[in-house]
Amino acid sequence: MIVVTVTDHVIETRDLTKRYGDAVVAVDGLELRVQRGEVYGFLGPNGAGKTTTLRMLLGLVRPTSGHASVLGAAPGSSHALSRIGAMVEAPAFYPYLSGRDNLTVLARHGGVGEERIAIVLAAVGLSDRATDRIATYSMGMKQRLGVAAALLKDPELLILDEPTNGLDPAGMAEMREFIRSLAQGGRTVVLSSHLMGEIEQVSDRVGIIRAGSLVAEGTVEELRGRAGLRVRAEPLPEAARLVAALPGVEAVTSAGGLLDVTVDTARAPAINRVLVEAGVAVSELYLQKTSLEDVFLELTANGDQPR
Amino acid sequence: MTRNVTAELLVLRKRAATWILLGIWTLLGIFFAYVVPYALDPEDATGGVAQFFPAALAGNLIAGFPFFGGVFALMLGVFALGSEYGWDTLKTLFTQGPGRLSVFAAKLMALGIVLVPFVGVLFVAGAVASYVIAQIEDAPVDWPSAWLLLRAMAAGWLILAVWAALGVLLGVVTRGTSLAIGVGMLYALVIEGLLSAFADSVSVLEPLTQVFLRANGYSIAAALGASVDSIESSGPGSYSGPLVDSVQALAVLAAFIVGLAGVSALVLRRRDVA
Repeated sequence: MIVVTVTDHVIETRDLTKRYGDAVVAVDGLELRVQRGEVYGFLGPNGAGKTTTLRMLLGLVRPTSGHASVLGAAPGSSHALSRIGAMVEAPAFYPYLSGRDNLTVLARHGGVGEERIAIVLAAVGLSDRATDRIATYSMGMKQRLGVAAALLKDPELLILDEPTNGLDPAGMAEMREFIRSLAQGGRTVVLSSHLMGEIEQVSDRVGIIRAGSLVAEGTVEELRGRAGLRVRAEPLPEAARLVAALPGVEAVTSAGGLLDVTVDTARAPAINRVLVEAGVAVSELYLQKTSLEDVFLELTANGDQPR
Repeated sequence: MTRNVTAELLVLRKRAATWILLGIWTLLGIFFAYVVPYALDPEDATGGVAQFFPAALAGNLIAGFPFFGGVFALMLGVFALGSEYGWDTLKTLFTQGPGRLSVFAAKLMALGIVLVPFVGVLFVAGAVASYVIAQIEDAPVDWPSAWLLLRAMAAGWLILAVWAALGVLLGVVTRGTSLAIGVGMLYALVIEGLLSAFADSVSVLEPLTQVFLRANGYSIAAALGASVDSIESSGPGSYSGPLVDSVQALAVLAAFIVGLAGVSALVLRRRDVA
């Protein structure tokens, strides 16, 4: 009997490590799993190891140790690369060639029909400037051409590293929308960024990397944690005692004249009623929600330099 | 592979540096092979005024390849690979899927194809110059045999290809253009030039100079009609050391191409693109 192991992980790494000499560990035992069809946000401060990880997944950089599999193949293998579209760091093109000629070079190397060039140029809104030399492009236009190059192979997996760099706010919003649309039809997108808003708005799941290691992974909601309530009341000890005794309350902590209550937020009216009926003066009662930024800052504090 | 090569030909064809090098090489090649020596004192030139006639075309032109042409080919080779590091385009190419060695092989083949006009255009320009001089001197226009011309052009291509391969290796090793060209010139002028000059008086250096690009290039040039006197008096690229058998020279140059390309491929394949 033949046993076939089917994994829905488009990218899977085990203990992936990259050292530069003895002193610098750019990626340290990374365990990453990206599921088919999702937009995976890869979040981390500058120097956390995001780009090195992506370079390893594309076969540009050899891991020092550990294992990685991309689309079921070894990173950098022709089998994997022929199904991956990537833009790593700043988009890199021949400055004296036009946008169209640059894509022609890539299409020929990638074994892609040249009819795809007009399609991807139109998709990123560069058809009108296709025959202009890259040297005349703005940073945002180069960024869009980088995305066009990544789309040339109509890839199953799209790896985009900081795709909104150099774009104005309108361009960033447009790019986010575009990235979401790219994920339609089963395509997997790995989006690396240090911009929380970008990751939060686009990603199905998020991995946060710090000093080369994954420190958190989950949906944005999971990472934020459960919402709770914040209560300002007098006298505070009495309020804490009353709230803690209520059913459904998981935790009550007091800090800065406020109570942080971990509870289903639908219990807010009941908490208010109990406190008021007990003669406690309630001056504020509001929903407390942790932002992804709070989570990110907490997880990455003091960890933004490679070791 | 054909599409990979056409991709690289597009990259080289649309690069201004390719055409600038071709233009300067052709102009200076004709200038130093015909215009200057003929204008100064044609009778005083090695071989007399007959050296400038069509019959001497192959030998007269091929003498400029081993050093002068080599430097141009070196730069072309450096640009072909070294610039990829400067523009960071190597990562873009390597993520397209054909494999690093396929990309490299396509680059080498495209470079080899681009060297063809470097030989052909110079020979056409040389033919025109020699024809004009023959007309001025009222001399008969006797062209060399097609077989000799073909062999001279093939030898010219081989000599340029070796220098281009050296440029490729230097571009890959230094990951850029400036240092690569500097080191290449240092090799051409100082290492080969000085050691060849010292070899006359230091006998232990003589066997070493026989494996130099210059020695083997000039040996082929001499076998195709280049005068030894002109080889010995061609300025910074002059060579007065021993000439080797032309078959040996061909084998050494071919081995250089294989060796230089092999080391470049190995470095390119194994090294991180960071």
